[in-house]
Amino acid sequence: MSGIGGALVPAKTMTIEPTELEKAVLLKVSGRMDAENAHEFEQACEQWITRGAKHLIADLGDLQYVSSMGLRSFLAVAQKLQSVSGSLILCRLNGLPRQVFELTRLIGLFPVFDTEQQAIATL
Amino acid sequence: MDPAARRLTLPAHVESVAVFRDFVRSQAVAAEVPAEEFDKLDLVLEEILINIARYAYVPGTGEAEVVVASDGPGRLSVEIADWGNAFNPLDVEPPDFSRGLAERPIGGLGVFLIRSLVSSIDYRREADRNILSFVFPATDSGGPG
Repeated sequence: MSGIGGALVPAKTMTIEPTELEKAVLLKVSGRMDAENAHEFEQACEQWITRGAKHLIADLGDLQYVSSMGLRSFLAVAQKLQSVSGSLILCRLNGLPRQVFELTRLIGLFPVFDTEQQAIATL
Repeated sequence: MDPAARRLTLPAHVESVAVFRDFVRSQAVAAEVPAEEFDKLDLVLEEILINIARYAYVPGTGEAEVVVASDGPGRLSVEIADWGNAFNPLDVEPPDFSRGLAERPIGGLGVFLIRSLVSSIDYRREADRNILSFVFPATDSGGPG
């Protein structure tokens, strides 16, 4: 804990843990995706796309926070994958990130599943 | 603003957002804003401050100022000012939700999110300053108005 006046200040930034699956790459995204680090998610996805990945599954179960800069990254990656007949699939979207995707109605533009198993089963 | 209001002025950089966030959070704790609202408060601040950092000035110049006061139990009154080009973010058109993935513009979502998460939002141009004021958290569950 740090910060002014004992406020609970988020120390955790974003981490991305990739796992190669048979038909997709699973990216477990944890922490906080904001203006300072959203480009890291986009870059990580682009590296997998460059290596031939068609389907990326973003496990967002431990994502606590996403701002509009993060939404831009999700949208940019999804558009890129759609142009190569691939997809960006979201799973375990909850809390504030789910609320943000719902408020901006982006949720209807992505395949969204409760679990990664459900996401994998659609491929 | 309330004479008990707290004020912080910093360079209008992306790197200042975390310092403003800590400052406003400390006021939110003092005003007994529920802790589960803190991430939404962070989001509103980030969206407004990033807009100022990117568009109000020649990049790398200028300042932003945040003034915070209690607005009754569990509520904060916030004013965010800059000395940049006159710009009313409330004039920004909402995103076009009818477009599909391929045509959905990347961007324009920040102002929409701000309006969705606060109450009594107002813009005024005062001398050479843009001032955006709002109350947090939102007092109703409705969409942006």
